[in-house]
Amino acid sequence: MSAVGTAARPIEAGGAAGFVRRHWPWLAALAFAVVVPWFSYDWSTGRHSGFIVSMLSQIGISIVFALSYNMLMGQAGLLSFGHAVFLGLGGYVTAHVLNATKGGGVPLPLELTPLAGALGGLGFALVLGYFATQQRATAFAMITLGIGELITSCALMFQTFFGGEGGVSTNRMTGHSLLGMGYGAPIQVYYLIVAWTALSVVGMLLLTRTPLGRMANACRDNHERAQFVGYDPRMVRFFQFALSGLFAGIAGSLYTLTYEIVTYDTVAGAMSANALLMTYIGGVGVFAGPVVGAVLIVLLQSWVSLLSNSWLVYAGVLFILMVTFAPMGLTGLVLMHQPIWRAGRMGRLLGPYLRLLIPALAVTVGFVLAVELCSFLTIGAAQGKSFTLSRITVDPRSAPPWLIAGALMVGGGLWLRFAMRRFGATWGAVSEEIKRAEVRA
Amino acid sequence: MEVLLVSLLNGLVYGMLLFMLASGLTLIFSMMGVLNFAHASMYMLGAYFAFSVSRVVGFWPALVIAPILSGVLGAVVEMYALRRVHRNGHIAELLFTVGLAFIIEKGVQMAWGLLPVPYRVPPVLDRPLFHIYGSNFHAYRGFMLLISILMFVGIWLLLTRTRIGLVIQAALTHPEMVGALGHNVPRVFTIVFAGGSVLAGLAGVIGGNYLVTEPSMAATMGPIVFVVVVFGGLGSLAGCFLASLIMGLVQTYAVVLDVSFADLLARLGLKVTSATPLAEVLTMPLPRVGALLPYLMLILVLLIKPRGLMGTRDT
Amino acid sequence: MSTPALRLTDVRKSFGSTAVIMGVSLDVAAGSRHAIIGPNGAGKTTLFNLISGRFPMTGGSIALHGRPIDGLPPHEINRRGLSRSFQVTSIFPRMTVFENIRCGLLWSRGYKYSFWHLMGGQRTLNDQAARLLADVNLETRRDVPAGLLSYAEQRALEIGITIAGGADTILLDEPTAGMSRSEANHAVALIRRITAGKTLVMVEHDMSVVFDLADVVTVLVYGQVIASGPPAEIRANRAVQDAYLGAPAEAA
Repeated sequence: MSAVGTAARPIEAGGAAGFVRRHWPWLAALAFAVVVPWFSYDWSTGRHSGFIVSMLSQIGISIVFALSYNMLMGQAGLLSFGHAVFLGLGGYVTAHVLNATKGGGVPLPLELTPLAGALGGLGFALVLGYFATQQRATAFAMITLGIGELITSCALMFQTFFGGEGGVSTNRMTGHSLLGMGYGAPIQVYYLIVAWTALSVVGMLLLTRTPLGRMANACRDNHERAQFVGYDPRMVRFFQFALSGLFAGIAGSLYTLTYEIVTYDTVAGAMSANALLMTYIGGVGVFAGPVVGAVLIVLLQSWVSLLSNSWLVYAGVLFILMVTFAPMGLTGLVLMHQPIWRAGRMGRLLGPYLRLLIPALAVTVGFVLAVELCSFLTIGAAQGKSFTLSRITVDPRSAPPWLIAGALMVGGGLWLRFAMRRFGATWGAVSEEIKRAEVRA
Repeated sequence: MEVLLVSLLNGLVYGMLLFMLASGLTLIFSMMGVLNFAHASMYMLGAYFAFSVSRVVGFWPALVIAPILSGVLGAVVEMYALRRVHRNGHIAELLFTVGLAFIIEKGVQMAWGLLPVPYRVPPVLDRPLFHIYGSNFHAYRGFMLLISILMFVGIWLLLTRTRIGLVIQAALTHPEMVGALGHNVPRVFTIVFAGGSVLAGLAGVIGGNYLVTEPSMAATMGPIVFVVVVFGGLGSLAGCFLASLIMGLVQTYAVVLDVSFADLLARLGLKVTSATPLAEVLTMPLPRVGALLPYLMLILVLLIKPRGLMGTRDT
Repeated sequence: MSTPALRLTDVRKSFGSTAVIMGVSLDVAAGSRHAIIGPNGAGKTTLFNLISGRFPMTGGSIALHGRPIDGLPPHEINRRGLSRSFQVTSIFPRMTVFENIRCGLLWSRGYKYSFWHLMGGQRTLNDQAARLLADVNLETRRDVPAGLLSYAEQRALEIGITIAGGADTILLDEPTAGMSRSEANHAVALIRRITAGKTLVMVEHDMSVVFDLADVVTVLVYGQVIASGPPAEIRANRAVQDAYLGAPAEAA
């Protein structure tokens, strides 16, 4: 029996080396974020790829937004349909502050502007959260739905704060800067986003290790038990909601700085759905899940949108598949492999995975083909576009493409079911072996 | 005065349409605990199916075929997908229906295009039925009222006079107990889900040509139906009926009464100028604020009386 | 006579038109071990739910150390020094065993809703949690998610969380339910050790546990107290034998 000691954990490697060893994925990601725009730098013109920088900025904003959403969903067990309200309101506040700064009233350095969004998000979350957190579970979700729609309608209607349908425009080149930068070039804004994203990630990570963060988890697991250890679950919900609004407000600020305009769609249901999508697909049970989800969704959105109108269909289908078959998200799926990895038996899964790959690919290609055919038949035709694959023009009104799509989906689907069953058998066998080995040990 | 009476009639017609939608949702929510976000999507599909079918065989067969198609779709969704997701908990079911609603909206956009489709009232009903205070009461509105009342009577008879109806009534308030008593609860669930979809589809058939048939109709109607269900209360069809009528009347009157908060304050002797704080909010006329009302009601009900008007259970 | 730790005065509870508790009056002396027994459906768990604030009373009043706790929410009652365990194990399944115990400590250590203290650095808190973990013999399961523990381990954890906050009045609802003989013996030894000097009220079906641990036994039948006193007296009580214990065929 070990002696009851300090900190109650085995002594960890201290100092900088230990820090790097424990947190290397995060540090690597940060280094990558700093360096990556230069991969697409055009040395002849001295310019960064606008598309890449814009996409990277969007990733940063989405990471902060999704992580703030997971403070509610994964950590506190609160499903919110109106989280975009705090991103948008933070954005509106920032736009007004920037306009005030420009007018010479407020000498706020641009680097500190996200603080305005943070305060805006926090303030509104305190007010709206006071009402929303009086309920939990489904009733809470419905109240947030109502609040989201309410604020969206207000954003369209009222001119003074929201600027009505046209929104609020602003200019980030206010002339105030701690580092003496102009922030005209998107790449400069990008590095500001990197800095604030890193700060937000650290902030939200540390929050999970505080009494409030832990009790939020406790209330999620068992709100009754939480009462009987002395905590009022309502207050826990309220504070967690307020803090998640704070970080969503920061994301909103970064949005304003990037696009220099805020309109009603930053508070609308589609934006809230985006947060839900990114967080859920990435995985709600792991802190880094929303980060993975945000990166993936923005990448898919950027690249798929170049090729197809139907990006949202694919996102929706992916979402439904995750809800039905993998509610733990992508990070959850990866973590499921942990015991097998540790036991060194990952090799056993290689073959089965490869055998899954081809039918999965067939079904996916067939489905994409069908969706694109549909899309070109109705929407594309109205827009006068035609369906071209490399140099072949596909006529959605003829039968062959449809037959191919159908055959791929049906044939691939049946094959996939068969392959999944065999995969499941292998997985089960490997897990059994590991369990027996553990018992013996 | 005339305006108020005419609006009363219109509000009742709209309210009955809402009841057709909300009754299915209340049954599904009360029994299965699933807040079906895709319910309004079945409404939309009913309208679109009716549009396509009526172009081939006319309106009257479509009146029968389209709701059945919706019901079949609902049954398939329940049996093959929702049941699987049920294992993962209520939140997963809710998210599934959210995803489903989303996909259906995109599917409709792809199959029928982004613009509203010309789903029209059948010519035989496209005439005034009678005159009241100088405006016409359209025959189609009378038709809608008739169908809604028939449906209401049909549900009432089903629930009170048939065995399956009694089981459904019991499961409305005590779902676990019904299972423990040996009834085939999964089959009852499928029936209720499919039945709810039929009702929603029917509402779409008769409402789609009266209102508008476009891909966003589900997203517009959905929250209003949620408000009605929550307002009426879980486990109570009577509460749902009452709430539907109230909502129908509120939404109709809101459009007709051109007053604003500032007008009310003026009656009390307080004048609102452009310098008054929140002047914009106070001077906004009611018809424009009308879009906000259902959401305000939803929030207020959930805060003040979460059980709704006549609810027997908590959400 | 000093103030009883818990005083129930004519407590009544009806669910709709069904009366479940019909006028229960009870005094639990401070520092005593009080068992509540009775047939199924007598209302024992309902009584616990009323005392701990989980359900509101329909009538009567309850006082903790002389101060009424009628109508207070459960967390308020807990903060005043009353803690309970549940018949159906109620823990935080996705959190580790250590985290479970630590959560039980937080409020009593004054952390409240702090979002500025980092848990890793809270030495006193962590030491105390580790000590409690050792007390309930769960040190080896420290980092296991609580949902993965065996049933008996979860019951032990539940007891650990219940006493973590330092409450002086503990309510245990069927602490040994579902346990084997040896597991139950361990649990009883644990309970005896851990509740030394505190007021213990427990609902139990296992008579050997009752007669082993309790100073006072109260018998509840159909929502009413039919007898209350030292175990030997209760064992010999005619009415109790008729209602619940049964006449002794041989000496128990």
